[in-house]
Amino acid sequence: MSKEMTIHLKYWKQDGPDARGYFEEYTLDNVNEHMSFLEMLDVLNEELMLKDKAPVEFDYDCREGICGSCNLVINGQAHGPKERVAACQLHMRNYSDGDHITIEPPRAAAFPVIKDLVVDRSAFDRIIEAGGYVSVKTGAAPEANSIPVEQEKANKAFDYATCIGCGACVAACPNASASLFTGAKIAHLNKLPQGEVERTNRVVNMVDQMKEEGFGDCSNYAECEAVCPVGISITAIAEMRKDYIKAVFKGD
Amino acid sequence: MSLDSKVPEGPLTEKWSKHLQDIKLVAPNNKRKYEVIVVGTGLAGGAAAASFAEMGYNVRSFCIQDSARRAHSIAAQGGINAAKNYPNDGDSIWRLFYDTIKGGDYRSREANVYRLAQVSNEIIDQAVAQGVPFAREYGGQLANRSFGGAQVSRTFYAKGQTGQQLLLGAYQAMMRQVHKGNIKYHPRHEMLELVVIDGQAKGIITRDLVSGELKRWEADAVVLATGGYGNVFYLSTNAKNSNVTAAWRAHKKGAYFANPCYVQVHPTCIPVSGDYQSKLTLMSESLRNDGRVWVPKKKGDKRHPNDIPDEERYYYLEERYPSFGNLVPRDVASRNAKNVCDDGYGVGETGLAVYLDFRDAIKRDGKEAVEARYGNLFEMYENIAGDNPYKQPMRIYPAVHYTMGGLWVDYNLMSNIPGLFVAGEANFSDHGANRLGASALMQGLSDGYFVLPYTIGNYLADQAPGKRYGTDHGAFVEAENEAQGQIDKLLNVNGDRTIIDFHRSLGKIVWDKIGIARNEEDLKSAIEEIRELREEFWQNVKVPGDKNNYNKYLEFAGRVADFFELAELMAEDALNRDESAGCHLREEHQTEEGEALRNDEDYSFVAAWEYGGVNGKLEETLHKENLEFEFVELKQRSYK
Amino acid sequence: MPSFLKALNSQVGRKVMTGITGVGLMFFLIGHLLGNLTIFGSPEAFNIYTKKLESLGPLLYLIEAGLAFFFLYHTILGISIWRNKKKARPGGYKKYQSKGGASHQSLASKSMIYTGIIIFVFLIIHLITFKFGATETVMLEGEQARDLRALVLDKFQNPLYTFGYTFVLLLFIFHLSHGFWSAFTSLGMKHGDFSKKMQMAAYAFGIILMVGFIFIPLYIYFTGGQGSLIAY
Ligand SMILES: Cc1cc2nc3c(=O)[nH]c(=O)nc-3n(C[C@H](O)[C@H](O)[C@H](O)COP(=O)(O)OP(=O)(O)OC[C@H]3O[C@@H](n4cnc5c(N)ncnc54)[C@H](O)[C@@H]3O)c2cc1C
Ligand code: HEM
Ligand code: HEM
Ligand code: SF4
Ligand code: F3S
Ligand code: FES
Repeated sequence: MSKEMTIHLKYWKQDGPDARGYFEEYTLDNVNEHMSFLEMLDVLNEELMLKDKAPVEFDYDCREGICGSCNLVINGQAHGPKERVAACQLHMRNYSDGDHITIEPPRAAAFPVIKDLVVDRSAFDRIIEAGGYVSVKTGAAPEANSIPVEQEKANKAFDYATCIGCGACVAACPNASASLFTGAKIAHLNKLPQGEVERTNRVVNMVDQMKEEGFGDCSNYAECEAVCPVGISITAIAEMRKDYIKAVFKGD
Repeated sequence: MSLDSKVPEGPLTEKWSKHLQDIKLVAPNNKRKYEVIVVGTGLAGGAAAASFAEMGYNVRSFCIQDSARRAHSIAAQGGINAAKNYPNDGDSIWRLFYDTIKGGDYRSREANVYRLAQVSNEIIDQAVAQGVPFAREYGGQLANRSFGGAQVSRTFYAKGQTGQQLLLGAYQAMMRQVHKGNIKYHPRHEMLELVVIDGQAKGIITRDLVSGELKRWEADAVVLATGGYGNVFYLSTNAKNSNVTAAWRAHKKGAYFANPCYVQVHPTCIPVSGDYQSKLTLMSESLRNDGRVWVPKKKGDKRHPNDIPDEERYYYLEERYPSFGNLVPRDVASRNAKNVCDDGYGVGETGLAVYLDFRDAIKRDGKEAVEARYGNLFEMYENIAGDNPYKQPMRIYPAVHYTMGGLWVDYNLMSNIPGLFVAGEANFSDHGANRLGASALMQGLSDGYFVLPYTIGNYLADQAPGKRYGTDHGAFVEAENEAQGQIDKLLNVNGDRTIIDFHRSLGKIVWDKIGIARNEEDLKSAIEEIRELREEFWQNVKVPGDKNNYNKYLEFAGRVADFFELAELMAEDALNRDESAGCHLREEHQTEEGEALRNDEDYSFVAAWEYGGVNGKLEETLHKENLEFEFVELKQRSYK
Repeated sequence: MPSFLKALNSQVGRKVMTGITGVGLMFFLIGHLLGNLTIFGSPEAFNIYTKKLESLGPLLYLIEAGLAFFFLYHTILGISIWRNKKKARPGGYKKYQSKGGASHQSLASKSMIYTGIIIFVFLIIHLITFKFGATETVMLEGEQARDLRALVLDKFQNPLYTFGYTFVLLLFIFHLSHGFWSAFTSLGMKHGDFSKKMQMAAYAFGIILMVGFIFIPLYIYFTGGQGSLIAY
């Protein structure tokens, strides 16, 4: 039979971007080891609502580690203790009876709090807006196989393209930098012949936007890579810089 | 009244090209005088919004998530079909068309499906040009794999993240247009009502999910690309925010809901482990290529699977379907799994699971080979289920995955309400009674990139450019009041059962009685139970917090309320369809081997339902669109 | 293409410049160590070396100006990056923990700003002591020259200087062990599994360089300036 345990939670509550936040403490008995972390919070909310108390808010959608909605910082680690796992895929069997768990939102000036752990990550959208695309008109695309792409290149581009946009990199970065997210998109597109044409503008505009949004500089801490649920390497950041340097010296 | 599908005349292969020639156009300088609302940013909505904007229309895009990129399409794993015939294995547009019609068990519209197969190739071109990193061969050409029982390799893929990569492509195209100002972008906005003026769709009411504010939006046309309704089952592979609300509220405003009983169940999901379970995770079907499905021969055998010798294992798919074995189609595999569990042979703590065993594959090909094929899936399984599939068999169980039913649309993807278009999983679409693997992505993108951009022009060309009624128009006021009324009503019940509790109970009824197999008796009692539970819901639901705020449970409450009505319609539709077809298995109509038995004589139609209100019971009127098969011959499916 | 100034001030430009200035300073350190080691050569060697330097005249001023610019630029960027981080995350976490694995968060990387500032203060004192310090003059090759050798030998008889230097030079190991690795990444030169090897190389570099530097004050101190390596 599966194991049950008692878990003590310290949960960040905050009503809005400018409201004062605080920790609320909860104790949950009967936490089943097979529950996911978010399911534990569901159970908590069910209990709270039955007691006429306000449920805790957090973002989620797919619950299988792909949509990038969930973004809990669990005991000071974005997405919790397991490598390459998003918070929604973290299971309670990683904890033991009587554990204390602190849950905070990703903290960054560029991610204002909406409520509790729900934050506004639209800054990421605006970074993509600044150049994270290939300008191609619908219907005007050439035959797909007319431009071969080396398998290795395609695989690398794919690895960068798997970023789920969760913002854990920002959350964990001591500088609250968005370099990994931005670098991943630049590296993905600039690696492919399809993205080649716009590489200069892309890198310059996206890097500018990052700053505009109020993210910090990157000091190469690589904490972002450690917490990234899909394991995007900070090589992406190096690639971004290389492209940027080229852009400055080569021009369009 | 029989519904007019507006399928163009002429030979199948020329219908679409001819239609494109005949279709009305909007002059380029007039395009920016039109405003189009696109609800949903999945493959269908994202592709549509980007394409409209590029053509010059003013677009407003809405989604529930905090970013368009998080739409449920992101989760699709396996791949996307196209008739490119790159592997040179005899594929063609005709074959893709034929497989899709046959896969749908002859319950889809020929002309639509043919068009789908035709544009499939352009989708791949488009995606590649956008920088979607599909898998490639050493020589740099695109790679293909075979998928879901097809005899040709026509599936394009990007590892197990095809949906993600395609969606990001569409999302990026959208963001490009947002930047140019051609798309006004409204994430965290939920559509609550459709606004119909003089019989035409003219706008929507949304709730700003952050501030709670209700807002009115006016447009010349409205596109719903709001995904499927699998979450009516509570547990499904759908994302938590997937819902029927947008479609259902449009239904309440007059849009017909077609074939709601067609629901696809996926055979290989990670089973439920307890009541707290919030969603089910799909494991790629490709696992069945090497895994062997079995249950113990003895009921309630509690031994560790590795301790059960071969002669005491029942490899039921291999025994029952010798030629296809473990690779029988989704519905057959699902049905059999449920049957053996219902008969008491199920395994695991809940008894609701069967084994999928890789022991023999590992013995035959070695652990490395198996790891190379399925490594990431095994990892995912171990992470969720907690045991190691290299060492002991996986436990799997079927789960609701895709809904073929949806709002009725004609060949132009326009619903029966002029100006209301429906795309992607939200429409009743091209899959008939069953969808083939890797065809949903194809359909969503086909609708969004290659069909709607033209057909919407055909409609708009007849609308005077720039004609507006203003959001103070009575229809807007009334729609907003309705939305407000529902929210207030929910908040005022203040009962003592939670929303999730109701949803879970509803899901259980729907799964047990309108699930993998249906029969008259069950369906009738399901209708009763749904009505009772719905009554109780409105008496006793407990919705926390208030409306002027971020309030996730309030959002859910509204969606569950709509599921309660939809569920009854599903039962009604399933009851009405007194035949088996595709995923819809009526136990009264099966061959001796348990295969679905169609009744082409009486049921070769699309059931399109018209809403008539809820008064204790749901009132719906049935309209039929008769399906004509001019180009293919109807055959009985057999996988023996 | 961005204007050069704008590029310099972008988040990439800033980081690239910390890298370039950092690497420049590292080269200076290598040169400076080699020069300083002449103190163990013939009695005149060190003074000849410093005199050679000073005799470069305008060229020296140019080099010194460049050096000063590198130092200042590096310092300003370092401080500005650190201040930006406060702006980018005003609240801070109540609980924060590195996840390990790929992370390069270490005592060294987290204390760059502190080791940096200490280095800066050290440098000022260092310049006052040696560059602008009062010395005897000696005759070298028929010309007057500052007897810096005597000054160095003298200063490092003083435990305050000796151990002060040793301490700062130890901190340098930290600054360089992250800085060396980091600079490559800043300049876009990271790829594949380069991280581990480069991090080892960075430690090795920092330690070797600083052992070289530290040796000078400690040797002088413990041998009372009379050690066998110091020729008379
Ligand atoms: C786990 C999984 C794997 C799959 N794998 C495959 C596969 O390999 N191949 C394949 O072809 N298909 C696959 N499918 C099916 C396929 O993913 C979906 O059918 C398809 O992505 C649906 O796309 P869509 O654009 O219609 O809707 P969705 O992607 O569901 O998007 C719906 C959009 O509508 C918005 N929305 C909904 N309601 C409202 C509202 N009321 N107001 C505002 N916005 C609203 C949402 O925010 C979202 O943006 C898979 C499905 C699942 C669950
Ligand atoms: C000889 C003296 C110095 C050398 C050789 C040196 C070297 C380096 C190197 C190589 C880096 C890495 C650059 C990168 O990450 O791209 C670095 C970073 C840094 N240096 Fe120095 N440095 C010196 C002096 C200073 C001084 C005086 C300061 C004063 C504050 C300082 C502060 C910093 C800081 C804060 C960083 C980290 C920058 C970041 O967070 O991105 N350094 N240094
Ligand atoms: C044992 C350690 C060291 C010794 C003995 C030493 C010695 C000296 C001497 C004698 C000078 C004066 C040279 C002249 O005026 O011509 C000098 C200059 C200088 N030293 Fe050092 N030094 C040491 C370590 C360092 C370190 C670690 C740094 C790095 C921050 C440093 C930076 C400088 C600088 C910038 C100058 C000025 C150079 C110039 O203007 O030409 N020194 N050092
Ligand atoms: S780079 Fe990784 S951590 Fe950052 S947003 Fe993308 S997936 Fe999340
Ligand atoms: S943790 Fe931060 S400092 Fe750079 S390497 Fe990652 S963004
Ligand atoms: S909920 Fe989608 S990634 Fe966690």
